[in-house]
Amino acid sequence: MFSYYLRLALQSLRRNPYLSSLMTLAIALGIGASMTTLTINYLMSSDPIPHKSKQLYYVQLDNWSPYSAAREPNDPPDQLTWRDATQLMSAAKAYRQSAMASSGAVIESGNPDIKPFLASLRLNFADFFPMFDAPFLYGNGWTSNDDDKRVPVIVLSKPINDRLFGGENSVGRYVTIENTQFRVTGVLDNWVLVPRFYDVTTDAFQSVEDVFIPFYFKQTLQLSNGGNTNCWKSPEGEGFEAFLQSECVNFQMWVELPTPADREEYFNYLNAYAEEQKALGRFPRPINNRLSDVMQWMENEKVVADDAQIMMWLAFLFLLVCLLNTVGLLLSKFSTRTSDIALRRAIGASRQAIFTQYILESALVGVLGGLFGLILANVGLIGIRSLYGDFISELATLDFTMISVAILLSILVSILAGSYPAWRACSVPPASQLKNQ
Amino acid sequence: MSQLEIGPILRALLRNKVGALLIALQMAVTMTIIVNAVFIITERAALMQRESGLDEDNTFYLTSTGFGANFESRRVISEDLDLIRNTPGVVDAVQINAIPISGGGWSMSLTTEPGDDVEDVGTANYLVDDHALTTLNANLIAGEPFTASEVRWRARNQPDWPDTAIITRALANSLFPDTPWQETVGKTIYIGDDEPVIIKGIIEKLQAPWIGWENLEHAMLSPERMDTVSARYLIRTEPGDLNTMMATLEATLSDRYPDRIIRDVTTLTDTRERSYRHHSAMIKILSLVMVLLVVITAMGIVGLASFNVNRRRKQIGTRRALGASKAAIIRYFLLENWLISTAGIALGVILTVGLNMALIEWFSVRPLDWYYLPAGIIVFWIIGQLAALGPALKAAKVPPAVATRTI
Amino acid sequence: MLLMKNVQKSFRTELVETHALRDFNLQVKDGDFVSVTGPSGSGKTTFLNIAGLLETYTSGQYFLDGQDVSALTDRQRSRLRNEKIGFIFQSFNLIPDLNLYDNVDVPLRYRGFGTAERHQRITQSLERVGLANRMKHLPSQLSGGQQQRVAIARALAGEPRFLLADEPTGNLDSQMAQSVMALLKEINRQGTTIVMVTHDPELASQTARTVIVKDGRICSSDLPDPIPAVSNQ
Repeated sequence: MFSYYLRLALQSLRRNPYLSSLMTLAIALGIGASMTTLTINYLMSSDPIPHKSKQLYYVQLDNWSPYSAAREPNDPPDQLTWRDATQLMSAAKAYRQSAMASSGAVIESGNPDIKPFLASLRLNFADFFPMFDAPFLYGNGWTSNDDDKRVPVIVLSKPINDRLFGGENSVGRYVTIENTQFRVTGVLDNWVLVPRFYDVTTDAFQSVEDVFIPFYFKQTLQLSNGGNTNCWKSPEGEGFEAFLQSECVNFQMWVELPTPADREEYFNYLNAYAEEQKALGRFPRPINNRLSDVMQWMENEKVVADDAQIMMWLAFLFLLVCLLNTVGLLLSKFSTRTSDIALRRAIGASRQAIFTQYILESALVGVLGGLFGLILANVGLIGIRSLYGDFISELATLDFTMISVAILLSILVSILAGSYPAWRACSVPPASQLKNQ
Repeated sequence: MSQLEIGPILRALLRNKVGALLIALQMAVTMTIIVNAVFIITERAALMQRESGLDEDNTFYLTSTGFGANFESRRVISEDLDLIRNTPGVVDAVQINAIPISGGGWSMSLTTEPGDDVEDVGTANYLVDDHALTTLNANLIAGEPFTASEVRWRARNQPDWPDTAIITRALANSLFPDTPWQETVGKTIYIGDDEPVIIKGIIEKLQAPWIGWENLEHAMLSPERMDTVSARYLIRTEPGDLNTMMATLEATLSDRYPDRIIRDVTTLTDTRERSYRHHSAMIKILSLVMVLLVVITAMGIVGLASFNVNRRRKQIGTRRALGASKAAIIRYFLLENWLISTAGIALGVILTVGLNMALIEWFSVRPLDWYYLPAGIIVFWIIGQLAALGPALKAAKVPPAVATRTI
Repeated sequence: MLLMKNVQKSFRTELVETHALRDFNLQVKDGDFVSVTGPSGSGKTTFLNIAGLLETYTSGQYFLDGQDVSALTDRQRSRLRNEKIGFIFQSFNLIPDLNLYDNVDVPLRYRGFGTAERHQRITQSLERVGLANRMKHLPSQLSGGQQQRVAIARALAGEPRFLLADEPTGNLDSQMAQSVMALLKEINRQGTTIVMVTHDPELASQTARTVIVKDGRICSSDLPDPIPAVSNQ
């Protein structure tokens, strides 16, 4: 029976090619637009480290001016000072912790064939690698002892290892930064983070840095400040050390706290720390410390751009228009078929049979529209990629979840669109059209 | 007037509510999207129209990063600037700490009195030398330009500021709202709470690096060169020489010292394009959505109206037999569409304002200007009538003899 | 007066030329009640369509009330239909979405009467067919006979000189048919000229004059050919 209805539906679609293609196109465009924007939003807001995102916390302390908040309304600054970052690290109250900073420096390999080049640097602590599940191709991260002793060690990203050492296992070899020889302890495998959640204070969709070195080399080598530097008062005195001891924020810090109790305890510690600093004449504002888990922090930093959300809502409205359009067209279409329906009813088709026949026709339009819509969504994503350019390519592709969502959405939309017209069709009384006309 | 059958059409429509309702809803939602989209597009387009003040078509910048223990940054920077400025095709060049509208730079708070509890004004800071005004295409409208002798070297992490500054007119107006900007030359302002700086000159226009910043027009120039291993040079060329100069200078500067890297050779046009990319992308996407939406809605109306015409062929024939001219039939269908459209548009006005309010609430969107609504109403009346015209003409072609045909 | 001289109507398809009417000559005088009868496909309906200005003819001449209609524009033809002719159809052709009042109103709107006049005419003609108390009803709420009465009321509301009826009782049972027929006779008695197409000889016999059409020609008329010989121009 199903195949019979399917054949009837196909016949009926072929009978009005203009109308059928109009309905399919409408659903396809609606699905295409919704899926494009939905994918962008889904990927922007996706959890980059799902199994741990509730255990990793971003640390904020309010060292800001007594007269104005770092961010309205009354938010602490989004980064820490050098003093606070290093003191929290020394206290080591969390299960794992890493303060960090971004910078850039020229890298020399010692190989005369490879010209020195400028690389992006992340300065971090040993815990950074296990905390964020950094994948290693060769070797490992360094140890806490290396951090404390300021041992010049370095972890290379895969592209940099390819560039410097032709992709070989370079563990134990050396590279030069600012006249200092750094020993390679590990090489990362491809590490794609969307968004690059460990530092979203600038652009959340940058790739991970080229190389990683211990945090304290910021001070040793007087490395430049990457990202944003914000100060509510000028450093007291001159020189690099004065900057490090100032109230200028340029450093991020993450802690891993496996249980809610750990979080509670760490939060209390932060408050106690702030009290301590108040006693030293710092932290003039009321205590306002924050511990945000990964997704809270993404939300706080507005990682999903407003524009992407506006577009998504507009796309859903667009889909609504397409839905109304399809309902209207199906209704008109079915209304011209009353005599056919009455005849079928008269020769024994049940209400349910008529309903099935017509809802199947709508679903068929939905499936066709959904498939076509998926193609359009891919075109849309290519378009978005070319318009925005700075998204990394991983951001803008349809994955299996999105494809299933698209198909389900289109079938849902078409059944939604078809049910009222089909109900109208099946309530045609059997004999009404036989008498005359 | 009695030929305008508003009453009977309305009563007939109420008997066929669903079809009419669908068209009306479709128009309402379409109008909601389109009016809001046009509003967003116009806003973004206005943002993109703002000028940085620079001669963007003929300006580019590059970064020189030295390395190694023997790198003498002061000597390299001085010699680089001499070389660049003496290259034929170059109008002028400066070392600068940040590029206008590029997204990255320095900012400071300024006050008109010392102390940290005074109302402050934010500004972008550009560290430049006496060649700044020509390079930045800045028009000095009051006071004096920097002289070569007052340009100092700022050491790395040196926190204090030179004694003089040139500021934009917008900054002068914000600092001294009650004083004409011409008279602010010579006044003392305080940077970072308590360090005095004297206003030496006023320039007409120069934008800050951050296009989304409320103080985009606030900029302050300080006469100093930075003693750092990484130096950025902003270079203005003669019209048409930009591409040659970019290639020439990158090659010359690279060859001159082996222990440095020349990188990020970028035009201001590219910088603008990158900074405004999300605005231009939004404009393009919304425009496409609008076109598609109008097409879909119009085709939907055409489709529905055509079906209505087909369904009512007998009725049309009867009306013709009873004395309706072709014009009367066209009028009937246009009027019917107009009534449906008007209902849809009325709902559309409410939804448009509603969506705008939601966008204001959740995103940083401004309230809609009032004239978008009447404009939207008129445009949608026209769209509706145009879409209904085809089916109406088709209806007029139904021969009156259909009335006597028995199907 | 309605006068057709040598009216010819032919349809041309790629293969053949079909004559729906040929050398059709007929005069209907004011106050006549003429029935036109004949087998299916004989050309009765084509004749009625031409007479009612619903169709054009290929050659010949047709005078409606002394006016040659061949050169009229669509607007003029519509106007003439509206003012001079009332139609009654086999399947009533009431507009299903309009109530009785609005249905009768349709031709009056096209005439351009004012509200008061339309109201008076609608009420009067519905009273005349005995349905004034059901003005707000929809056609689907009436029986076939009642629907045809509404159609007659609609045809009469504009006070046309001619009433053209196409199988007016074709969709009605005999009892209803008789009452509709009686109504038509009554209307004719009050001065309206009626041309009625029917295939029913019983019905045709009730009119003052019967014309029989076969293969697009008049083959018998119970009156001598009323048209004086004319020379074809």
